[in-house]
Amino acid sequence: MHIHPLERRWIYVVLAVIGIFLLAIFYTAIARNIHPPSHIETIDSASLHLSEEFAEDKLGVWTQPDGTIKVTLVAARYGFYPREIQLPAGTQVTFRIASADVLHGIHIPMTNMGTMVVPGYVSEITTTFPKPGEYPMLCNEYCGLGHDHMWSKVTVVAKESWPAAPNAQPVRR
Amino acid sequence: MKKGYVFAWIVLVAANGQISAEPSTQVAWTPETLRFVKNGDAERGKELAQACEACHAATPENAESEFPYLQGQSATYLYKQLHDYKSGSRSNEIMVGISAGLSDQDMADVSAWYSRQPLPPAKKADEVPDTIRKLVDRGDGTRIVAPCAVCHGSAGQGQTMDTPVLAAQKAAYLEQTMLAYKSEARRNDIYRRMRLIVQQLNDEEIRQLARYYAGLER
Repeated sequence: MHIHPLERRWIYVVLAVIGIFLLAIFYTAIARNIHPPSHIETIDSASLHLSEEFAEDKLGVWTQPDGTIKVTLVAARYGFYPREIQLPAGTQVTFRIASADVLHGIHIPMTNMGTMVVPGYVSEITTTFPKPGEYPMLCNEYCGLGHDHMWSKVTVVAKESWPAAPNAQPVRR
Repeated sequence: MKKGYVFAWIVLVAANGQISAEPSTQVAWTPETLRFVKNGDAERGKELAQACEACHAATPENAESEFPYLQGQSATYLYKQLHDYKSGSRSNEIMVGISAGLSDQDMADVSAWYSRQPLPPAKKADEVPDTIRKLVDRGDGTRIVAPCAVCHGSAGQGQTMDTPVLAAQKAAYLEQTMLAYKSEARRNDIYRRMRLIVQQLNDEEIRQLARYYAGLER
């Protein structure tokens, strides 16, 4: 079989690149023990509303003892609950999100807040919103007929004008 | 003893600055519960349903009463409502009393029976405004209202678990139910899903939506 020398050269380049990628993946996974961050903490999606952390009155924005913010959210067809939240700018915010039904994604455009919400697992993501403003919070994994209606409102306000959230209870993590 | 609980509650509330509310429902659709409801004995349910028929029968005499039709409703939805009445998650003078005497097995059986019955004849609505059709099919993004059809189906046929069949239900019952969600008189929707939607609607929209769904045939 005749392969043009130029093509052959490019095949070697591509194989080398793939080899580097694979080496990087295996090196970080085996030698450095680095794995994708999610799928660590499990939860029963069917009885989410009866769980301690994701009970209906436990959702929303909480101030942690160290001054950082925790947001407990549930993604369910078709919305994120609570529907509207207010957060301070320039403060570390940790989202803990669980799905009550199917696979969802969560994304706040113009920010780096985005993760998958897999039923049966708790998704956790920490970020800081530098700029005040009104942001939509969207679902970006197709979850059913109402997927394109699945969004909630996040208002980021300047730290000084943020009404403090209730303190998190000690039992909650 | 009771006083002690009240005191403990006040201390807890004061300490946390918030009120711990009861969950909207005690029913969780775990595989075991789903299997239990699915295996309801419709034959036994038929006997139990004799008592229900006085109010819930799909007969012309019953068409004007305030009681909803149960025929053709999904078994899981019916089971959840009965369970919610019994556990106090949903209130209704008559049904709370009746459900108190039902076992979980009774609830599964009677739900199985009603879910296997044909829908009552729909009461065709004359012209429904375009704005209402738009709410049903496309929702309203400016109010964060998803279309009714994405959950309740394009023919009002409902969806698995607890999204009820709406087609051919009595308009008066549908209206009354939406108004109850709106005023928070009814609160057994998990994560306030239905309340959040209905609270964005005005009373005229609610009335028209009820007429629309009452007129749907499956």
